[in-house]
Amino acid sequence: MSKVIVVTSGKGGVGKTTSSAAFAAGLASKGHKTAVIDFDVGLRNLDLIMGVERRVVYDFVNVINGESTLKQALIKDKRVENLYILPASQTRDKDALNKEGVESVINELKADGFDYIVCDSPAGIEKGAFMALYFADEAIVVTNPEVSSVRDSDRILGILQSRSKVAEEGGTVKEHLLITRYSPERVEGGDMLSKEDIQEILSIPLLGVIPESGSVLQASNSGNPVIMDKESQAGQAYMDVVSRFLGEDIPLRFVESEEKKGFFKKLFG
Amino acid sequence: MQLKGEMSMLNVLHIQDTDVSEICSKLEQKRDEAPQFFMQSPIVIDGSELSGNALEFDFSALKQGLLDLGFIPVGSRNFPPAANNLMRESGWAIMRDQQSTSSVSKSEPVQKNQVKDSPVEESKENINTAPQTNPVAVMKTQMTVDRPVRSGQQVYAENSDMTVLSPTSAGSEIMADGSIHIYGALRGRVLAGARGNESARIYCQSLQAELIAIAGRYQLLDESDTTLKGKPAMIRLDGEKLVIEAL
Repeated sequence: MSKVIVVTSGKGGVGKTTSSAAFAAGLASKGHKTAVIDFDVGLRNLDLIMGVERRVVYDFVNVINGESTLKQALIKDKRVENLYILPASQTRDKDALNKEGVESVINELKADGFDYIVCDSPAGIEKGAFMALYFADEAIVVTNPEVSSVRDSDRILGILQSRSKVAEEGGTVKEHLLITRYSPERVEGGDMLSKEDIQEILSIPLLGVIPESGSVLQASNSGNPVIMDKESQAGQAYMDVVSRFLGEDIPLRFVESEEKKGFFKKLFG
Repeated sequence: MQLKGEMSMLNVLHIQDTDVSEICSKLEQKRDEAPQFFMQSPIVIDGSELSGNALEFDFSALKQGLLDLGFIPVGSRNFPPAANNLMRESGWAIMRDQQSTSSVSKSEPVQKNQVKDSPVEESKENINTAPQTNPVAVMKTQMTVDRPVRSGQQVYAENSDMTVLSPTSAGSEIMADGSIHIYGALRGRVLAGARGNESARIYCQSLQAELIAIAGRYQLLDESDTTLKGKPAMIRLDGEKLVIEAL
């Protein structure tokens, strides 16, 4: 049974594309056939983060318009088995997307035996974001520990539960909270919302917390999903997210400051 | 024996043109969709959308047509006064014009007892123009909300009380014609007695609302206004003033 997962946030720049790339690569590395679709038509980024920008011939909009087959447009990742990328068009805008076209692409991916279809949503609550979430069975809501990001996530959760296909048919889209750019030191200092604060406002289950880390920027710039960097905290945190998503019970890591850990170590030896 | 002026729910047939047989055949189709529901049900005709000349309208034929379809015609409203005699002759009761009612039905309220996502601009308008008509609305049901009410969402319990078991978010809006009970955190806007019921109250477990309103009297909830922020509270209307009390 294939699952459609939207990675969304409302607000821009919180780490949707980074998370989509890492999450999809993680699922594929665990042996699941995974496709990741870039819905940000006109502001194509996923191909860069995945390091496949020089291999884009046809794109999502070409497939929707029947100008190419899905097979021609899907880019097979060279590093991870089972991982495929469907890039967005850079020369078009969000109006090039329509429900029928998106549905036919998703159905074709399902028929091709993909286990997971990850939809990387653009920012905002307009057509692109709406198209990305419309066919979702589950949603990963990416939130930064600051008030405007939390407010926007709240808004997108409302849209998810009232305007997606599952919601229209009377069901519920399964929600997951992913907090990114988390800095335990700054939380303790009081200038960042804690994961408990965010959870209290959004009241959805927490899938994971990704620490603020220089390795994320480095990975993005080099075109390697950060999850492949097994040394970095962010990479390990993303791998935990994937395992948790697949049903494993794994405790949160990297959510306490080094200082505090040191203190407790001193205390309890 | 008691005689009271009260309102009940009635089906209203909006007449747009003077072709009675056309009206009846369309109505027959509607009736056949839910024959049990319409069986012997009272019906009011409304002329506010009539484009033809009301004096040429065959009111007797319409009355007979409605009876034949199994409806019970009870009255007419919003027809031009010139047609009053004509209507009386054919046995129609003339109900007092209710501009408010007809304007509401024309503008198609966006939500009726359901969660709807709508732009924030719309919700702003709703605040200051909280309708104050129909003071004696019949409380019929009770609406329960068990999912979080998110930023940008509006929930409206028409003609009823509302119970919210989940939290409501900043930027959300919950409205009821009756009282509102909130067991999760109350963070958005909350409007009880939306159609002017002054005895409506708001009860909540954790008062963090942005705005509170009862029967059109509203108040922004700044920290200075109450010591009950984040605590269980009840809000009621005392004259023209909203009173916040500990629960």
